Amino acid sequence: MVVETKLVKIVGAANVSDKPKALDEYSSDMSFVNKVEPAYIVKPKTTAEVEKIVKLANETNTPLVPVSSGPPHFRGDTVPGTGGAVIVDLSKMKKILRVDRPRRVAMVEPGVTFKELIPEAAKAGIRLNMPLLPRQSKSVIGSMLEREPVVMPKYQWDVSDPLACVEVIFGTGDEFRTGQAAGPGTIEEQSKAGGVQKAPYGPGTGSYHRIIQGAQGTMGIVTWASLRCEILPGYEEAFMVGSSNLAPLLDMSAWLIRLRMVNECFILNSTNLAAIFAKSWPADYQKIKSELPSWILFYVVAGYEYFPEERVNAYVKEISALTQRLGLASAKSVGSISAYEMMKTVQKPSDEPYWKLRYKGACEDIFFLTINDKTESMVKTMLDAAGAGGYAATDLGVYIQPAVQNTSIHCEFNLFYNPEEASEVQKIQNLSAAATRALLNNGAFFSRPYGENTRLIINRDAASMTVFNKLKNIFDPNHIMNPGKLYW
Amino acid sequence: MGLEKYQGDLAMCHRCSACKFIPMQKVANKEFSYVCPSIARYDFHIYSGGGRLHVAKAALQKGFQYSDRILDMVKNCQMCGACGVSCNYAMDMEVMEPIQEYRIQSVKDGHTVPALDKAVEMMRKGNNMVPGAAAKRGDWAKGLNIKDFTKEKVDVIYHVGCLTSFNKDMWKLAQGTAGLLRKAGVNFGIGGASELCCGGRAYQMGYEEDFLKQAKKNMAQIKKSGAKTLVTGCADGYHAFKVLYDKYNLKGDLEVLHTSEYFARLIKKGKLKPVKKVDLTVTYHDPCRLGRLGEPWIHWEGKKLPGGNFVFDPPKTYRRGTHGVYDPPRDVLKSIPGLKLTEMTRIKEYAWCCGAGGGVNESNPDFAAWTARERIKEASSTGAEAIVTACPWCEKSFKEANSNLKVYDIVELLEKAV
Amino acid sequence: MTFNKDIYKEFEDVVGAENICDDPLIMAAYKDNPFAAVIMPKNTAEVSAIVKLCNKHKIIFRPICTGWTGLFVPGSLLIDLRRMNHIIEINEKNMYAVVEPYVISAELQAETFKRGLHFCVKGAGSNCAAILRGHGHLDETTSGDDRNHLAVEWVSPEGDIVHSGSLGSSGEWFSGDGPGISLRSILTSAVPPGASPGIFTKAAVKLYHWPGPTAYSLQGQSPRYTLKDKPAYMMARYFSFSTVEEMFNAEIKIGESEIALEHMGFNPAMVAGNITTCNEEFFEVFGRMAKQVKGPGFFIIIAGTSAEDFAYKKKVLDKIIADNNGESLKMVEDPEIEGILLIQCTRISASIRETFRSGGTFKSIPIMGQRDLTIKWATGAGEAKMPLIKKGLILDDGGGFFGWGVEQGHLGKTEIFCAFNPTNQEAMDAVNQWREDQKARAVREFYFAETMDNSEEVSKKLCNYLEWWHKIHKALDPNDVSPEAGSLV
Repeated sequence: MVVETKLVKIVGAANVSDKPKALDEYSSDMSFVNKVEPAYIVKPKTTAEVEKIVKLANETNTPLVPVSSGPPHFRGDTVPGTGGAVIVDLSKMKKILRVDRPRRVAMVEPGVTFKELIPEAAKAGIRLNMPLLPRQSKSVIGSMLEREPVVMPKYQWDVSDPLACVEVIFGTGDEFRTGQAAGPGTIEEQSKAGGVQKAPYGPGTGSYHRIIQGAQGTMGIVTWASLRCEILPGYEEAFMVGSSNLAPLLDMSAWLIRLRMVNECFILNSTNLAAIFAKSWPADYQKIKSELPSWILFYVVAGYEYFPEERVNAYVKEISALTQRLGLASAKSVGSISAYEMMKTVQKPSDEPYWKLRYKGACEDIFFLTINDKTESMVKTMLDAAGAGGYAATDLGVYIQPAVQNTSIHCEFNLFYNPEEASEVQKIQNLSAAATRALLNNGAFFSRPYGENTRLIINRDAASMTVFNKLKNIFDPNHIMNPGKLYW
Repeated sequence: MGLEKYQGDLAMCHRCSACKFIPMQKVANKEFSYVCPSIARYDFHIYSGGGRLHVAKAALQKGFQYSDRILDMVKNCQMCGACGVSCNYAMDMEVMEPIQEYRIQSVKDGHTVPALDKAVEMMRKGNNMVPGAAAKRGDWAKGLNIKDFTKEKVDVIYHVGCLTSFNKDMWKLAQGTAGLLRKAGVNFGIGGASELCCGGRAYQMGYEEDFLKQAKKNMAQIKKSGAKTLVTGCADGYHAFKVLYDKYNLKGDLEVLHTSEYFARLIKKGKLKPVKKVDLTVTYHDPCRLGRLGEPWIHWEGKKLPGGNFVFDPPKTYRRGTHGVYDPPRDVLKSIPGLKLTEMTRIKEYAWCCGAGGGVNESNPDFAAWTARERIKEASSTGAEAIVTACPWCEKSFKEANSNLKVYDIVELLEKAV
Repeated sequence: MTFNKDIYKEFEDVVGAENICDDPLIMAAYKDNPFAAVIMPKNTAEVSAIVKLCNKHKIIFRPICTGWTGLFVPGSLLIDLRRMNHIIEINEKNMYAVVEPYVISAELQAETFKRGLHFCVKGAGSNCAAILRGHGHLDETTSGDDRNHLAVEWVSPEGDIVHSGSLGSSGEWFSGDGPGISLRSILTSAVPPGASPGIFTKAAVKLYHWPGPTAYSLQGQSPRYTLKDKPAYMMARYFSFSTVEEMFNAEIKIGESEIALEHMGFNPAMVAGNITTCNEEFFEVFGRMAKQVKGPGFFIIIAGTSAEDFAYKKKVLDKIIADNNGESLKMVEDPEIEGILLIQCTRISASIRETFRSGGTFKSIPIMGQRDLTIKWATGAGEAKMPLIKKGLILDDGGGFFGWGVEQGHLGKTEIFCAFNPTNQEAMDAVNQWREDQKARAVREFYFAETMDNSEEVSKKLCNYLEWWHKIHKALDPNDVSPEAGSLV
């Protein structure tokens, strides 16, 4: 068990806390995982401090729980899985280390949020490929390490995008830099030679960032990361396509992305779109929703430096032929929501309070990967499960995000509920488990399993698990990194 | 001659595997992408063009060594030349010549295959490569009153070839050809019982000396006749007279034509008029030795220029299959009213072999039949009712492979139309 | 070197007598390596059984696809994957194809073209396996390196069959990552820089929209195939510039404006190699071309999905070229040459003509990643070629390097090679020395480190990555039967 004095020695007294209120804050989140109080909260400011903490944890067999985003947390991955854990809160590592327009890359520390990075990037003329409306406190690195889907699938060449390179302290306490950042030379020496740490693969045969991504902090602690950015459009136009059926919208999104004509591109159901835009509840929400079709495809056509309007016009014309073929119509607004407003909304984080919490105060997300032509059947499975679980279908939020340039679909169901009502909480918890099981049976791939359902998911793939365990034993042999999370 | 001459070429092979496939530009599907029957059937790399070159290179470095597997490699190759074409799309290096030299050396070293020894022995004794008494070679022409070029003056020698002469099923080809030549008013003659095997198939099998003896006998006979043109309907014969005799400086100024070339010429001149309708959808199979290997021999002697580049003085021109006989047989088919020609994936210089060449017909009939079946599969995929070829060996292969398609020689269809 | 009879029999029982051979004389065909035997499994179950036998008897194995390159251990078992040559699936809507190791790129490309799709044909050429990791001419729009694989079926070094990502959980090929961490961290395939241990038996590769025809209509005979009809909305050009800076600026603008289907930073020697049919013609054309170019340049293919899209892209291209004082090479504007380059670069991925034909062999330094950085280095490496050229040891390509943008200029690939006669020892030695010098300079000046050779010295400068990799290797391959030994092409 680690002692406070040693932690103080590393990060200073001001950055170590075991005050009950602080411990309580980190002992639970909005998910259904059990409440477990940590022993200490530490807030390192440098890589060297993180390294020392990890080494100390190894010596003292102390569990470490890395946290980079601010509250509220939703997935249970930052709640200690065992007692006696030290929370390594990285929110004080807030440096934006690089924003480079020519190379379209940025480099940040874990405490940097979307809200902080977006304006800095914009100043240089670049932008991030964002997840959909992250909360304001969301760490950019946290989002990337979670392989959070992004709203511009065209620019997601690989599921690991936009993550480029990371510096990580593995569970062993060793420092490592992935991809181009590995060397030769220090980051300063590389920078002097003109290097910007952008190529993600390597060094050598391995692609080490893929061990850290999706690990929920069980492999090590990332102390900075670089990310690829996209250039800001010179001109852009946003469109919405409404439909009572999901199928033609899925078809259309597939073509739009295949032909690389659109940037932002995703589908929401009316519940989610209304939830994003409602200012007052429930009247505003009901009104917006009542004017919306069941499904809305949103997309943006953009032009860059050269003759941007001409490019947009050419694509708009081509897309119009496509919509006609599919029996759809693109519009600048649907119901009372304008596409332009939508575009501006999704190009930044969610306003406060976080959009998923406005309706009922809490939200349980069920998300997984599937493919375009199976998405409709997944929605049906979820609706059946919701029906069986006593959850109103009209309350179910759906977010369909084509991913990795069309090769998969991130399908997300949002169950809004009132966290103050115990019976509703229980109902949602039961529904989440039942729906996950039903979706799994329908072939849903829960590539990012969190919390209670993880075991269910990984049980289907013992062979991969055997290999994962071998990797875990190399990078975190003492299992000090976030024990009890993911499958460890 | 000899393998040593190709040392530089052997060093050029980098095992890129292009020799296993039709030229990459022409790969149109997964199903018909392979070009070399030997590697397609036997899989070990030695069965490919490149693999054979590597074995030959090792032989030059370490001396010729033989094993059952190496001899299996040697015999299971139709010497169809497809590997060379695919390689030479991109590379400047000899492929078929060193493979041929390796075969010749194997025979010289006494590592032969009994079935091939037997065939060559037949040639030595009876001037033919297929069973049958030499005296009966001209039986197909009985009662047709065709001139004997060894006795009478003719403009054109029609060389029938061993298989057509001795296989009664093939007699119709010789008879049809003779009929067409007569209709066109050509002053032609045959050798009849005096006709000699061209020796080409013996050469493919590696029996260089036997081939040369045969070639010399033939040329003496032809020279004596005074004829300036030789026409044959057998692709092996065509290749031997036109290419191999020339390679060994034996051909002189003899004009060698395949019947398809000659008939295409006669049709163009109006001497043959295909007027009768032949309602048939066909696909055409290019015989290897009429097609890619049928292009003229290129005489070249020279030296590699000093420096790192594989270039020569004088510049070396390679036989890449560019100038094979591809259009004349198609022109003949297109001249037939009602006949519809559809093409297979693998045609012309990158056509898949029928399976009969290189002694495979004699030494490994199963492999020959397998190769033919692959071709028929491809022909069937075009929707054609019949596969048409221009060589009796191809026709034999396809028929023996139990083709579900009708099998014709070009002559048979032209005969129906004229 | 061969196995004893009992062991041989065990392997033979897996694949049948026809598919294993231990005749030492056939090994000449396999890079002259004295393998104990060559074995050819027909499916994953056979691969797994073979690998398990290798573990049982502690026999080192090495898989190959078409077998172009690779380093091999004497006395090991060569697992030739030739018979595993099936296209398992082409999923048009979800844009991926699932292939076995011996499906070559030309085959998969022909099949995907029919569906209006294509994929990253690696620079090794379309004669090589489609399953490979790596870079190719079309990287600008089809990505590259380890970024094109989705799910993979893998036989581990111990013989276990492992399915990554969605394949392991739900039997589908669309994702290779998770649940949780990603096996793609170690299953990066099998070409430089290095090879994952074990054997890939199937993999899903990403497909991309193909704006060209379902099949090119060609005319002529080998070796000169020309385009009968140039596709209406496709265009190929070669532009040269006064300086490397102008060239790179144009390259970046082309990437950012998303107008190029292919951006290929060929040097003139490589363009000449592709459009000519023999060495003599090559030297003549290259000579003319070298006089016509202003300086460094690139080849580009523009393709539109509609007339308007095509017109827009051409207009942007003209502007970018003009802004950077580029000049179009007239020779390539000749429709016949333009057509040859179109088909060479999209179908053949060029390779053999441009690398092997003139000299016989080549040695290169390929670098993946940040293009501007690698260009800086390659300029120096090109200058260092000049003394070798002067001595007549290598092909005179003017000291050229080549490379291209990847993912619309986000990343890049740069390569420089010396083509020479493999029988000339002096040339071989000089080229090896040049290679070592230039690699060392790259490390010294903090540009990059070439990791193909797995040098411990280099590893020390790259966060000791080999130590980690060796640990992974050891954990996956406790019997040490699946060495990392060069590439699997």
